[in-house]
Parts: sequence; C-alpha cells; structure tokens
Amino acid sequence: MAWLPSVPMGSLGINVPSGIVAGVSLVIGLLMVIVFGYTSDQGAIRIAKDRLKAHLLALRLFQDQIHVVLRSYGRIVLATGHYLRLAFKPLLFVIVPMTFLIVQLDRYLGSVPLSAGQTFLLKARMDNPDVLNETSLKLPDGVITTAPAVHVPTEDEVVWRVVANKEGDYVVNVQVADQLFAKRITVASGLPRLSSVRLRGKFWERIFRSAEPALPENKFVEAIDVQYPSRDIEFLGFEWNWIWLFFVLSLAAGFLFKSILGIEI
Amino acid sequence: MSDRRRLIACFAFLTLILLCPLPSHAYAGPGAGFAVLSSFWTLFVAFLYSVYAFFVWPFRQLFRILRRRKAYGKAQIKRAVILGFDGMDPELTERFIAQGRLPNLAKLRGQGTFRKLRTTYPAISPVAWSTFMTGVNPGKHNIYDFLARDLGSYLPYLSSAEIKGPKRTWKIGKYTIPLGGPRIKGMRRGTPFWHWLGEAGIFCSVLRVPVTFPPEKFSGVLLSGMCVPDLKGSQGTFCFCTTRASGDKFREGGVRVAIERVGARYASYIPGPEDPLAGGSGQELRVHFEIYPDPGKNQARFSVDSETFHLKVGEYSDWIPVKFKAGVGFSAHGICRFYLKEISPELEIYVTPVNIDPGRPDLPISHPVTYSIYLAKLFGPYATLGLAEDTWALNEKVLDDEAFLAQCYGNHEDRERMLFDALEKTQQGLCACVFDTTDRVQHMFWRYLEEDHPAARGVPRDQRPTVIQDLYARMDELIGRVMKEIDEQTLLMIVSDHGFKSFARCVNLNAWLHQNGYLALKPGKTESGDWFEDVDWPCTRAYTMGLNGLYLNLKGREREGIVEPGAEAESLKDELRRKLDGLVDPESGRAGITGVFDCDAVYAGPYVDNAPDLIVGYGDGFRASWDSVMGKVTTQVFEDNLKAWSGDHCIDPRLVPGVLFCNHKISEEKPAIVDVAPTILKLFGLALPRHLDGRPWTVRISTGTSAEPYPAS
Repeated sequence: MAWLPSVPMGSLGINVPSGIVAGVSLVIGLLMVIVFGYTSDQGAIRIAKDRLKAHLLALRLFQDQIHVVLRSYGRIVLATGHYLRLAFKPLLFVIVPMTFLIVQLDRYLGSVPLSAGQTFLLKARMDNPDVLNETSLKLPDGVITTAPAVHVPTEDEVVWRVVANKEGDYVVNVQVADQLFAKRITVASGLPRLSSVRLRGKFWERIFRSAEPALPENKFVEAIDVQYPSRDIEFLGFEWNWIWLFFVLSLAAGFLFKSILGIEI
Repeated sequence: MSDRRRLIACFAFLTLILLCPLPSHAYAGPGAGFAVLSSFWTLFVAFLYSVYAFFVWPFRQLFRILRRRKAYGKAQIKRAVILGFDGMDPELTERFIAQGRLPNLAKLRGQGTFRKLRTTYPAISPVAWSTFMTGVNPGKHNIYDFLARDLGSYLPYLSSAEIKGPKRTWKIGKYTIPLGGPRIKGMRRGTPFWHWLGEAGIFCSVLRVPVTFPPEKFSGVLLSGMCVPDLKGSQGTFCFCTTRASGDKFREGGVRVAIERVGARYASYIPGPEDPLAGGSGQELRVHFEIYPDPGKNQARFSVDSETFHLKVGEYSDWIPVKFKAGVGFSAHGICRFYLKEISPELEIYVTPVNIDPGRPDLPISHPVTYSIYLAKLFGPYATLGLAEDTWALNEKVLDDEAFLAQCYGNHEDRERMLFDALEKTQQGLCACVFDTTDRVQHMFWRYLEEDHPAARGVPRDQRPTVIQDLYARMDELIGRVMKEIDEQTLLMIVSDHGFKSFARCVNLNAWLHQNGYLALKPGKTESGDWFEDVDWPCTRAYTMGLNGLYLNLKGREREGIVEPGAEAESLKDELRRKLDGLVDPESGRAGITGVFDCDAVYAGPYVDNAPDLIVGYGDGFRASWDSVMGKVTTQVFEDNLKAWSGDHCIDPRLVPGVLFCNHKISEEKPAIVDVAPTILKLFGLALPRHLDGRPWTVRISTGTSAEPYPAS
C-alpha cells in the first residue's frame, strides 16, 4: 500500500497539506461526478428529484389544505427514499476506491510526525498478562526512554515514554522473552507517510489503520501503537481536520463539475 | 477463486465498509455526499414546513373568520368540479348517447341534467369562456373575437393580451440592454368568479380556462390556457425544416427552414424570439441542431444543445428544452417537440411551436408562478401554448391526420393528469378545467363526419376514420373516471362554450362589401392583399376582419372614417342587416348568413365602443373565408373550403349552443353560459355581485340537503 511517496514539506511559504487536499478534492470531485454520471440512471434521478421538488412546492401551494400538506410530507419521505435508492448504485462503484484513497491520504494527512525532542507514548498490547513482566524495549541510537515502563494489567499493556533526539526513521523493538517485535517510528518535519500502529491478524483493521506488515501470529504481542498528534490544516482562516476539508472542497468541486458536465446528482 | 466466492467476498467487504466504517469512510465522494445532504435537507425543510403549516393552519382559519371570510358558511355544496369541453356539440352528444357510445354522459343525463347551453354573440371560444368566468356579456369583459383592430392602422392585434418590451432600455453602441422584463397587460375585463370564491376563503384550482393569460392574483392556483403565446410571442408558429427546395411560404402559423448538408450530417435551426439586445431590429434568435440520418434503420439521431435523441420516421420526440441565447445573462427558455416526417429521399422535420418552458417560465403562465413549475416537476414538461394543437400544420399538410391526432392526445393526457392532481388537492372548493382537444379535433376532422364535405371528396366512405366518434367516447371515459372521484356533495358540471357545425363553404364578406359598393379598392385594383393592403379607405363605408365582426368606417373613430355617427351609421347598419340576412349561396341555394346582429342590441357595458358594429351569423355549413378573416378582398364571395379545418362554430350563435350536463337536477329550461358564474357563487352561498348579467339556476342537490347549508369546514 505504500504507493504514495513521502512528500517533503515545501519551504516556499505554501501550506502544502491544504494545497494537497484542495488539489485532490478537485480531481476527486471531477472523477466521482463523471463516475456518478455513467453509473447512475440519470433519467430516473432527474425524475425523482423533480418529484421531490414538486412535493415541496405542494407544501407551499396548498398550505391551507392540511390534508394536502400531510400527504405531501409523506410523499416527500417516500420520494427521498426512492432518490437515495437511485443514488446507492453509483455509491457501490465508488465506495471501494474512495475508501482506499481516503485510507492512504489519511496516512499522510491525518497525523503530524513526531518532532525531535518530543516525548511520546509507545504502547505494546499483549495477548497474555503473564508476559508483561518479561517485556522490554530495545531502542536504536538516538532514541531513549524518559521514564520507566508502566504496566497496565487491566489492558494487558506496557507503556513507555520515549523521545528521539533527532529526525529520522527509527525501528524500535519490543522484546518478549527472546522474541523481538519491530515498530517503525517517524521523527520528521515534513509530510511523511505515518503508521501509528502495527497489528497482529485483524486483516480488515490492518488495511484501514496500519501501514506496516502484520505482527507474527501467536507470538505474545497483539499491537504496538505510537500516538502521533492529529493534524489540523489551516484553510480560509480555520483549522480543519483534513477529512472535513476534503468533504467540503470535493462537494464544492462536484457541484461545479456537475453543472458544467450536465450530470444530475 | 470462483465467481460465486469472489462475489461473496466483494459483498462482505462492502458490507464491512458500510456497516463498520471509520469516520473517514462514511464519505464516498461528492455524488453520495450530495445525495445524503440534499435528502437530509429536503426532509428537514419539509418537516419544518409541515409543522409550520400544521400549527399555523388554525390561526389562518381564525384570521379568515375575523375578516368575515366565512367559507362554506352558507354553501350547499362542498366542492364544484367543472369540466369544460371546448366545442362539445349537443346534437352530436345526443346522437352518440343514442348509439350507446357515451355511457357516462347518459348516466349524468339520467340522474341529473342535460341541456343545450346558450352561447355568446359571437360563438367564439375567447368570448364565450370570458363570459363563462365573469358572468357578464362581452360589453363588460371586452373580448369580442381572437383579434381586435387598431383604429389608426386598421391592422389586427390580439384581443386578450398585450405584450410589450421592457419599459426602459440602455443603449450601448449597437446593443440595447433591456432594463426589466417584458410588460404584459391583460385586455379582458370583468372579474372571474373564482376571485369571489377566493375572497370568501374557498380554494380554487383552475386549469387551462381560455383567456386567463396573463394570470391574475387570487386565492387559489391557476394555469393559463388559450391565448398564452409561444416563445416568439405568436399564437403558435411551427417550424418545418426540409431539404426540399421551395420558395413557398406558409400562409400563417409556420415557417419553412432549410436543412443544410454538412458532410455526413445535416444542420438546421429553430427560429426563436427577437433578440432583445438588437434594439427592435427584428433580428431573431436561433437554436441550431444537427441531424444524423440512418436511412437503413429509417431513423435519425438528433443533437439539440446538450440533448441527444433518436427518432424513427413518423415519431415524435419528448419535449426537448431549448435555450435561445442573446448574450451573457440574456436567454429565453422554451420547449418543443420534433417529428421526423421523412428521411429519404429528402429529409423533413416538423418542430412544434416553441412553448414557454413551464419549469422555467420566462413569462408568467400560472398563478402563483410556482404552480406551472410544480406541475412540470410532478409530470414533466407539458404544452403551455394556448393553442397547443397545431391545426395550422395539418391545414398546410405538414402534419398528416395521425401525427396531428398523436399531438392532440399527447397534450390531452398531460391535462388529464393535471386535472386528477387538482381533484386530489381540491377536496373542498372549486376545480375547473377546460379541455380543448374537443375543439381542435372537431375543427380538423369534421370532413369525415359529413357525406359530401369538399375537403374529404375522394375519400371513400369506408375509409373515413371515426375520429370524432372516438373523441366523444374518450371524453366520456374521462368523465366516468372523474365521476368515480367525487361524492354526492360535489357538484359536477360538464359545459361547453359552443357546439359545432360543418364548414364546407367560405364567405368572403369583404368581397361582398366590395361588390355591393360598401368597400372600395384603390384605382386599378380588383382585389386586395392581406390586411386591406389595397383598400381605398376614404371611399370605404364598411369592412370586416376576424371571424364575425363587421365594422363601419366611422368618422372620428377610424383614422380615415367617412360614415357619420348617429343617423347615417344607424341607417347603414340597417341596410347592411337587411341585405346580408339570408344572403343565399348561389351554388348550394342555401342561406350563407342566417342572422346579422346589432351590437347595441346584444351588448351592454362600458366596453361596447370596442365591439364590432354588427355580428354576422353565418348559416350551417358556412363561415367567414380564410381570406376575409385576414382582411383580404377577393373577387368571389362564396367558395369551397378545401382545408382540413372543416368544422366550425363561428356562425349564427343560435345554431351552435354548447352542452350542460350536471349530476344534480337543474330546473332552468334555457340555461346560458353567462349563468354559470352566478350559479356557482350561489351554490357556495355567496352574495351575487350586482353587475352580473347571468342569473343563477335552481339546482336541486340530490342528497336532499338543498335547503341546508353544507357544514362549514
């Protein structure tokens, strides 16, 4: 899944994450509108929307006829259901690529990498509380713990407070008995691809959450988790979570392109 | 992996994504985003409005009572449904009932009432329907014909509405920027009875009643009918696109446009309205379209703006939206239908007049303006033109019988849908709808009903279609469906504005006036072109234009009038009446004119001065000639009518009464169309305005509640 290269942060004063989100939103808006146009029953959608509008107008036109108002409301509910059903078919075509795309983008834009000197928590979740006492951390050069390990038996977890002195891609190892379990840690200032967790098994969860290979099966450690801070993107004077910004901008792009291309949504 | 397993895996994956998404996966692109957002928004707005309507309704009712709008307080009925069938003839109706073709009308006649309904002078739809809705004679509503004449130029103009350009414009170089919309002025006077009902808080749905353009404000909904113009501002101008070279022009009602060959495709255009930026230069806007014929399949592909569609020969398209662009921000929206007439050896396409788009009306065609939009959203685009059935195209043989009928019944079905929606929406109040299919079809197919009509000579009797019989049966079937929708406290009234007779012989009254010394032509002329082109006005005492009006060239009224008002004018009128009444057609030996009526005797009201001086009542089988109507003077007074337009009603009004059916007993023996308005007002318990000319009938409501008012809602 590492099909996107790490993107360095620009030094031209341009807000690179918001630029990326805007660009991707524009392209996705266009593509998805085209896909919607080809995969939906445009005639039926047009009729369904027109009927909806007609029932809405009926509320206004016949406002003194209370039976018409109530009946129209019922018809609006039914017509909305019909319209959503028609919109569902194109949804089936776009949901898989969109899901993968969003997952991949989230790895770049969802979190901020750790900075040099910033302490962070590293958690290892075990499948067996008995091995908590046999668990230790093997750190590469430049990475140190700043506090003793904390055992959380109720969660089957061991937590370390860690800090890296300089930027770089590090691999830390959690040792249980004589087994080592690696986890990648990124300390950087750009827009690298981040993986906050390494998981054992759980295929679907790994697809959505992790960018690292699975942990070995039946070998003590269920997950190793690094808590990267979440990223806020500045756009139009507001701080946005990237998914909300993508949602708004791609909707705007879709609105623009649907009008230009004459596609009914 | 087998297909089945792959399918299951895909389904499982999609289910997982849909059922267990992370927050970021809930969004699947702008398409889904729009769908969900707009649905939510729609439901939210609808819910808010429903709640608002529900809670506000009692206060609105209270407000009405406080304003003395005691709706239904003294009403004998809860609902009146009036179905107008333009031109439904009582004699034909009786004949078809006797033949067992009209079971529902027979039932109405049995349980309620059937009468001949006296019509107006003249028996022309805009006149009669204006009287129907206002309850007054034409002297009070100012409509005497489709056309009225300009006293300065002797030229005609539409009598029902005046459409002018915007009041102010801004000239920049060769461009003229209109500052504001077109000005539309209704010429019909008088108050339709649904205004009085609305005032009393009785809801009204009024569909396609003639002469309701421009629509007036009242408490209810109204869709305008006859007299709504097309996008060009005319009463219907079709377009005939052809590769056949011809210099002929259509007499009226249509334009011929060349189809050009461009490689493998063909190109043509639809002429539209005048360019508003061209400052009155008459330059028209156009919508270009392309045709890709496929003679092998006997069909063609059309590309009009962004629309693409296929048509087989003899097939109509749906309504196609067309946009005439004049410049940035200036465009006119219309709809039209294409008909592929021929594909080989020549390519011929008929395009209906460009109707005002009901979904985006550039001129108001309904009240409120959203009503036409509502209907367009609910049922799709529909014909808005007043005279939507293109009789001219059939007259000019651009359409054949089948194509014309298909057009008529297509429009009719749209109106049926609108009627049943209005019936559903108007559970209390008035629901009035006029169907004009009956008029158009009888005009165009009477020739097959008659033994020896000039327009159908040569068509063997056994090959004559039973179009009019089928038409009446179809209307009867519609009436049957309406009867199923109503209860005993609903009054159902079937009315027509006039009946129908044959139009086999044409009478050119201008020719008669010329031959008898009342109308003079310029020196050396023996005939005159359209609109009195060669008439010598200073020597002319009388002239005719339009369908039944005869005018004196009155001094001080007409620009070049010579007849002194008063005694001379009265004497001239008497003389003309004496000579014309009973005028015999030398060929058939029958009376071409059976009555000439003095306007002072048949009209009373503030607008009598605008009326023709005499109303000419043609005999059965006769009508004003096509030339005479257009102010043309020929050498022949009588001639055969060879056009498909072979039946008519613009004759002696005594010969063409309309019909009146009612599901309750009406005691009046000789009801008139002018009585409908006061009768409805009375049935709803309203006081009658004093200026009405009609008198209410006594209607016995058969539920036995005639003495008791319908309980107030």
